Amino acid sequence: MTPEGIPSEAAVAARGLVKRYGSHTAVDHVDFTVDQGECFGFLGPNGAGKTSTMKMIYGRSSVSEGVLRVLGLNPDTQLSELKRCVGVVPQENNLDPDLTVWENLYLYARYFELPPEAAEERCHFVLDFVSLADKSGARVDELSGGMKRRLVIGRSLINSPRVLVLDEPTTGLDPHARHLVWQQLAALRTQGVTLLLTTHYMEEAARLCDRLVVMDQGRILAEGRPDRLVEEQVGTQVVELPEAGQVNPGLDLPQGAQELIRRTHRVGSSLFLFTDDNRTLLGELARANPELVSRALARPSTLEDVFLTLAGRGLEE
Amino acid sequence: MRFLGYLKRWPHFDRGAVRVWDRNLMAWLKYYKTSVLMNFGEPLMNLLALGFGLGAYVTKLNDLPFAEFIAPGLLASTAMMGVVYDTAFSGHSMLDRGVYESMVTGPLRVESITAGMFLWEASRSVLYGCTFLVVILVMGLVRSPLALLIPVLMVLAGLLFTGPSLFVAAWAKAEDQLFYYFTLVITPMFMFSGIFFPVENLPAAARWAIWLSPLYHVTNLSRALVLGRLHPGLWGDVLWLMVATIVLMPWPVTQMRRRLTA
Ligand SMILES: Nc1ncnc2c1ncn2[C@@H]1O[C@H](COP(=O)(O)OP(=O)(O)O)[C@@H](O)[C@H]1O
Ligand SMILES: [Mg+2]
Repeated sequence: MTPEGIPSEAAVAARGLVKRYGSHTAVDHVDFTVDQGECFGFLGPNGAGKTSTMKMIYGRSSVSEGVLRVLGLNPDTQLSELKRCVGVVPQENNLDPDLTVWENLYLYARYFELPPEAAEERCHFVLDFVSLADKSGARVDELSGGMKRRLVIGRSLINSPRVLVLDEPTTGLDPHARHLVWQQLAALRTQGVTLLLTTHYMEEAARLCDRLVVMDQGRILAEGRPDRLVEEQVGTQVVELPEAGQVNPGLDLPQGAQELIRRTHRVGSSLFLFTDDNRTLLGELARANPELVSRALARPSTLEDVFLTLAGRGLEE
Repeated sequence: MRFLGYLKRWPHFDRGAVRVWDRNLMAWLKYYKTSVLMNFGEPLMNLLALGFGLGAYVTKLNDLPFAEFIAPGLLASTAMMGVVYDTAFSGHSMLDRGVYESMVTGPLRVESITAGMFLWEASRSVLYGCTFLVVILVMGLVRSPLALLIPVLMVLAGLLFTGPSLFVAAWAKAEDQLFYYFTLVITPMFMFSGIFFPVENLPAAARWAIWLSPLYHVTNLSRALVLGRLHPGLWGDVLWLMVATIVLMPWPVTQMRRRLTA
């Protein structure tokens, strides 16, 4: 442990971390600890403060308040060392549009002071890893969105980083391109690279992350393993009752059903009943009000539901 | 104290700066043909039309044939224009299109990137100055082997003109705003820096105004070297240029930082 209460072996740790832009607080006293080798997610809607947090982690933007350590390094005072061991996939691709795929990678390797031969070797390796070897001579603006994204991921691996920061790695990609990126991230994880990723796709968070935090308006609302978070916060299953505007769950539902309901949430005229046992709940409801149940939708609950109940709105809104 | 703070924002002439230079060379090699044409078309036309066309009527300026008088000044202004246009326009577009951003996403720091731009523009200044020198040499307008010192002068001029131009590039939100710089600063400087007429006989106020123009001092030195007419007053020009270069150098760093880190 360091004096700030940060475990010395942590990959990334924040205590009371704040980012302000003028009078606007984008990141508001957040705490988290990312262990080495895990995939750690930041799930939240637009404006939650995910990018601001990532930018502080890779030293692009200054810390306004609080403590931040990346592999034990302080971004304020040890920026050069920090940049050597961190890879970055920023939210916007920011490739060099005047140059080809190969030149983009090669120059990046040279920015990291790799000698020319080592740089070439690394570029070949990275191009193979992101399956862009046949595009080596193409200009960047000739690439599809998915290829650009893969190139940026490849570029982030040039310096063999121990910590990889990915800011919305798959936003705007079609499902096929997204799956390719997911495969590459999974491969990196098995190689022991620590991954930090932000997303507003709950499916992506659930699939890739060992642990995650749910963020909204600069704050962390909840933290944990994706499956546990769902279990703890809302229950594993949910019954959605559409057109249930008049139904008051505390009064209108039978006692047997009430005992099974862990939490309720209203979205417009729909009523969400969270539970760990959908089937029994539906049975109880059917006995009291068969008409209501005929329209009900029973499904497993997701991280989206966690966000919905904690923030009072959806991730995409 | 304020001044110490200013000096702390000095560009870092380190290996990162050299990498930025590499990058610019790589990109430049793809379009240099058009860029060279653009940079030489206008000054050559000026030289031919004014020097030889008008020169047939204007017989002598300071005992010199008109073409011989304006050639060294056009050399200075060609280098300046090359540097100023490139720094302002491509600097601005590199900011806009995320080129510098890709550098700061990687390991490069704003101070190194800025220094890299200084190095790059100094190189361009040397290239433009020397190419123009060869052209006027072929035309028989070079009078002295001191002209071999032109590259040194071009380095100094390149470093000097990069500072304010890069500042403007980073300050301008839209490309249109760059035209203020050209209309209000660069064009008047081009006209009133002793390139086309001697300033010695102008009223004192006009001489003072012209003395403030950096291009005037570059022109003085260029003319002295190309024609081999040295005199002690030139040390004043050298000193003026060195002080201005040093004082202006940290200027773009803060503005670049504002654009690239938040
Ligand atoms: N450079 C900036 N200047 C001012 N405000 C900013 C800046 N970057 C982000 N913000 C604001 O900070 C908040 C968080 O933004 P951001 O970190 O980009 O969130 P996210 O990545 O989760 O969408 C938003 O309200 C955004 O408008
Ligand atoms: Mg973002």
